[in-house]
Amino acid sequence: MATQAISKNSSNLALKLEQVGKKFGDLAVLEDLNLDIEPGTFVAIVGRSGCGKSTLLRLISGLDQPDTGAVYYDGQVHRRLNGGARVMFQEARLLPWKKVLDNVCLGLCKQRKDRALAALQHVGLEAKADEWPSVLSGGQRQRVALARALVHEPRLLLLDEPLGALDALTRIEMQRLIEKIWLETGFTALLVTHDIAEAVALADRVILLDGGKIDLDVAIDLPRPRHRDHPRAIELEEAILQRVLNKPE
Amino acid sequence: MIKLKWFGGVAGWLLPAALIAAWAVAVQNSWLSSQILPAPIDIVRSAINLAASGELTANIAASAVRAGWGLLIGGGIGFLLGLLNGLSKTAERLLDTTVQMIRNVPHLALIPLVIIWFGIGEAGKVFLVTLGVFFPVYANTYHGIKTSDPQLIEMGRVYGLNRWQLFSQIIFPGALPSILVGLRYALGLMWLTLIVAETIATSSGIGYMAMNAREFMKTDVVVLAILIYALLGKLADAGVHFLEWRVLQWHPGFKRR
Ligand SMILES: Nc1ncnc2c1ncn2[C@@H]1O[C@H](COP(=O)(O)OP(=O)(O)OP(=O)(O)O)[C@@H](O)[C@H]1O
Ligand SMILES: [Mg+2]
Repeated sequence: MATQAISKNSSNLALKLEQVGKKFGDLAVLEDLNLDIEPGTFVAIVGRSGCGKSTLLRLISGLDQPDTGAVYYDGQVHRRLNGGARVMFQEARLLPWKKVLDNVCLGLCKQRKDRALAALQHVGLEAKADEWPSVLSGGQRQRVALARALVHEPRLLLLDEPLGALDALTRIEMQRLIEKIWLETGFTALLVTHDIAEAVALADRVILLDGGKIDLDVAIDLPRPRHRDHPRAIELEEAILQRVLNKPE
Repeated sequence: MIKLKWFGGVAGWLLPAALIAAWAVAVQNSWLSSQILPAPIDIVRSAINLAASGELTANIAASAVRAGWGLLIGGGIGFLLGLLNGLSKTAERLLDTTVQMIRNVPHLALIPLVIIWFGIGEAGKVFLVTLGVFFPVYANTYHGIKTSDPQLIEMGRVYGLNRWQLFSQIIFPGALPSILVGLRYALGLMWLTLIVAETIATSSGIGYMAMNAREFMKTDVVVLAILIYALLGKLADAGVHFLEWRVLQWHPGFKRR
């Protein structure tokens, strides 16, 4: 039932950034950034704190506009919000005055309660449908936020360190859940994370952002399901980490 | 455990009961002149007498109607203006300074002017109550809207909510606790204003009943009027409590008790 509700999306989004630049006052956060993402790929973005990862995601989502260059969704310049993209933030951002199910229903017309319930089932929280968000644990809240994003069948899912605040065990559980749902539905995914192991475990492609540009772009060609102790995974992780650390500040 | 629970329910009433008993004993033994404070039983008796003659209900009704209209008009304007200034930068720039200036005039200082304008009719009293309740409702509505969580609003935008949905599903529910605090303050000011307004110029209402009784040295009626004010104030407060309990169930601070 759950897999029916969140069906395999045939038209995943192809994302393209062309010479994108963004300044805050005198601070050029992103400069002349080019990025091409095939539909249905899972891309992870890593980089130092403050290097502009969240800014990049905001530009892609349409929450903010680039100063120069443009973002393309399927070859069309993207300016408005709500073009099939959904964002999961570091905080769950649930509305505390709505029951869990109504949170998942947000922005959905009223007749689609069944779909919201199916999405909750998908993240294993249908039992909490009638609870207030304040009684949920941090991990459960993020799962509700994930359900809320999935119920719209996004063609592009943007994840801004959604697991950053979770404990190690819950993190791994959530990573598995996100991977599973992504494999089932196949949306294009962009995950910002400061955890390089997480990036290597989940993504087809890891992008290192530095100095407003893409500093490193590696394909992770490991078969799924992945194991964290795979020698190639460890090797890749180490290479990316060295690249981050060896850059002068 | 059961004993403790029973005690918890009753504990709050022990002191008032003791005070009333001490009061009754003091008047009984003429330690206290009944001109200064009549015996509790006399107050009950005069309450029954006034209720029987219909005078009491008529006066309570007169006061309640004034309070109600004042609250409705002043609270309504305060609420709408608070929403407007909280939501629109232009409106805020145009109006907020003026509203803040009005706030600095103590509304009870206007009584002489109000008597000149409205005489001792109903309008003057409703006007004063309106002024009194306006500001707390305005300020708290404005504050509630202004402090709505920008992260939640951003989330709402990403999830495709239009402006009305952003307001009705995110901004307003978030401001509601603050708005209810404003209502609470407003109710306190409502009774206070009414007490002062009714003792100065009226021909009906609880305040009138008290002033009238004072002329005939009927202390029991004066004390009765004071008690009724206290009771009405308590009632209004309980009303807001109930409202909070109904609409803020999601709020960890207002959990069902
Ligand atoms: N609205 C803004 N106004 C001014 N400066 C901003 C704004 N948003 C971001 N910045 C600045 O842009 C830079 C990049 O911020 P951003 O949030 O994108 O970093 P980040 O890579 O997401 O960092 P983190 O990993 O800590 O989340 C920072 O120096 C930040 O101070
Ligand atoms: Mg960030």
